[in-house]
Amino acid sequence: MREHVKGVIQIALIGIFALAGGLVSGSQIAYTHEISVALTLIAVALGYPIYVHGIRSMLHGSVTAQLFATIAIFISVVAGIVLPQALASGTAAEVGYLTASSIVAFIILSGMTLEAYIIHRTRGALELLIKMSPKTARIRRDRAEVEIPVDQVKLGEIVLVKPGDRIPVDGIVISGHSTANQATITGESIPVEKTVGDHTFAGTINENGALEIKVEKIGEDTTLAHVIQLVEEAQEKKASIQNIADRFTTYFLPIMAVLSSAVFIASYFTLGFEIALARTVTVLLVACPCALSIAVPVAVAGTIGNASMNGIIIKGGTHIEKLKDVKLVAFDKTGTLTVGQPKVIGIKTFNKYSEEDAVKYAAIAEKFSEHPLSKAVLAKAAEMHLKVPDPADFKTIPGQGVMANYNRKQILIGRKMMENVISEEVVAFMSQVESEGKTAIPVALDKNVVGVLVVADTVRENSLEAIQRLKSIGVKTVMITGDNLLTAKAIAQQVGVDEYHAELLPEQKVAIINDLKSNYVIAMVGDGVNDAPALANSDVGLAMGAAGSDVAVETADVALLGDDLTKVEYTISLSRKAFGKMKGNIVYAFIWNVVALSLAAFGVLSPVLAVILAEAGCISVVVNSALLLLNKPKAFVKKRAL
Amino acid sequence: MTLEKIVLKTEKTDCTGCRVCASGIEADNLKRAIARLNGVSKVKVDEITGKVTVEHDQEKIDFSKITERIEKLGYKVEILSRKQIQ
Repeated sequence: MREHVKGVIQIALIGIFALAGGLVSGSQIAYTHEISVALTLIAVALGYPIYVHGIRSMLHGSVTAQLFATIAIFISVVAGIVLPQALASGTAAEVGYLTASSIVAFIILSGMTLEAYIIHRTRGALELLIKMSPKTARIRRDRAEVEIPVDQVKLGEIVLVKPGDRIPVDGIVISGHSTANQATITGESIPVEKTVGDHTFAGTINENGALEIKVEKIGEDTTLAHVIQLVEEAQEKKASIQNIADRFTTYFLPIMAVLSSAVFIASYFTLGFEIALARTVTVLLVACPCALSIAVPVAVAGTIGNASMNGIIIKGGTHIEKLKDVKLVAFDKTGTLTVGQPKVIGIKTFNKYSEEDAVKYAAIAEKFSEHPLSKAVLAKAAEMHLKVPDPADFKTIPGQGVMANYNRKQILIGRKMMENVISEEVVAFMSQVESEGKTAIPVALDKNVVGVLVVADTVRENSLEAIQRLKSIGVKTVMITGDNLLTAKAIAQQVGVDEYHAELLPEQKVAIINDLKSNYVIAMVGDGVNDAPALANSDVGLAMGAAGSDVAVETADVALLGDDLTKVEYTISLSRKAFGKMKGNIVYAFIWNVVALSLAAFGVLSPVLAVILAEAGCISVVVNSALLLLNKPKAFVKKRAL
Repeated sequence: MTLEKIVLKTEKTDCTGCRVCASGIEADNLKRAIARLNGVSKVKVDEITGKVTVEHDQEKIDFSKITERIEKLGYKVEILSRKQIQ
């Protein structure tokens, strides 16, 4: 911000001195010329950033508008001193060279400052993220609470976070219960429950309860810091379309040298020295290589900035170019299209038992079991607010089921445990469930079947919507999974993918990706951990739920920090739009330069008008790109299940 | 704490000659990125010469981590001087 204020003051000073110089030169006081020269020189000198950068860019072998402006202003100042009566005009505007040179410096510096400000705002998303990192943390040391700068917090210490405060560290909740708004990281502002054992991210907001958090990561190791670093670096990775712009820019210097000499010589022999001089200066001032060279970087910055505000990290301009061409998206199933955790989704009871009975007895038997399915059963019991007493004893028989004793009754779980008690009706129901790709868990009490729990991995609530949105923008969808064919088929039907491949080993996934790649530009969406090879082999790899998983954030081309799959479509749509802007900007800047240079060469413009035109060209490109920031994803409306 | 002062010459490798540099934005970003590194106590970036002066605690951050970070941001780095100051 200070930079901008400095710039504005500098511009104002140039304006004042330019105006004074102009007024003096038109007055009748003594030494008019000398005073006017002095005032103008001060005004022009204040425009030093223009010359410094113009000359420096020349030494680096690149061409900037500042270089042309430096030459033009230098010529004007010399002309103004040597030929005080000459008018710096191709045609109409009748001002002396001295006045013209200071006005030109004034306009260019104003333009530069304005552009800088807009570009700064375009990168403002990054600024916002940085502001999200709290500066201090309240910790418990020697049984007292102290507030210390966050970089002095040590790993393993306990941080206390009050309701409404930003969480200063990545850590694990050891006491308290609250919700956290993790929009900073995931782009999703719906609060997430935080209770003992949950992980927290630095920069997110603790909403309604006090939390005690054990510090796991601090400073530059936090997820937020990683995100900031990645976004910073992403802006430096060039899109290859930039090369087109760069090529034009490289030709600019020789073309300008030839053109300005040609204009000078042609006008000199036909219209005389003064007009030749005016036209040459005008040609130098109207050129706007900046619009070309800035066409892509600002659009890239705008896109990456916009994405990062929505919990999407696009790691460089190259990926934007690939994303815009994506015609097929391959999804991993488990953990991507589905939640990745089995859940009890249905209960069928038998022999007049209630659903509570079925869950309760299953939960008692499974209470101390390590089996993944037992987690689902216990979660269901908790959800139904059932009290689960300990079994008197229990035994797990691998591959068969569980046998437990409770209240002098025997609980059996698993079909193989109850071959002789299971009725035909139960068997029929179980086959039906299994044909849908779900798992059926029968529960029996003293040889009576209590019920059958239906367990399945559930589809994420926005998977269907995500697939539909992709289809609506003409993108094909494919699901690839290592899971069995039945389950795959059931899930594929639920989410509506065009195609699915099941029972794949990781290397087979890669083979399918390579196969699809020969026909389409493809993006692969996975969790970034066990499908890393497939992600790496696709044209663009998107890792989802990447917050907290460093591997996923590092390896993917695009990291979706939340678990909102509809962001896949948004990422592609945003990239298409961004690329359209980049292309549009380059064409526009090219035409602008050709038209403006022609007008200047034929004396239609005066130097002052020329410089206004050049600045307008440049600023319009910057503004057009910066508008990408305003893009918003369509909100996903949660539909209540059932 | 072992404080070291390093002076680096940086140059944007993919300078597009636009006005981003000219207006000091690049210098700003570079300065901020270095300042955020744990163990860096002072950063000065001269936007015109590309000279970067960093003071850092050698026990907290290695010199190479700083140059690495600058390089990752698209700069060529050349070491001008290193000096222990505390």
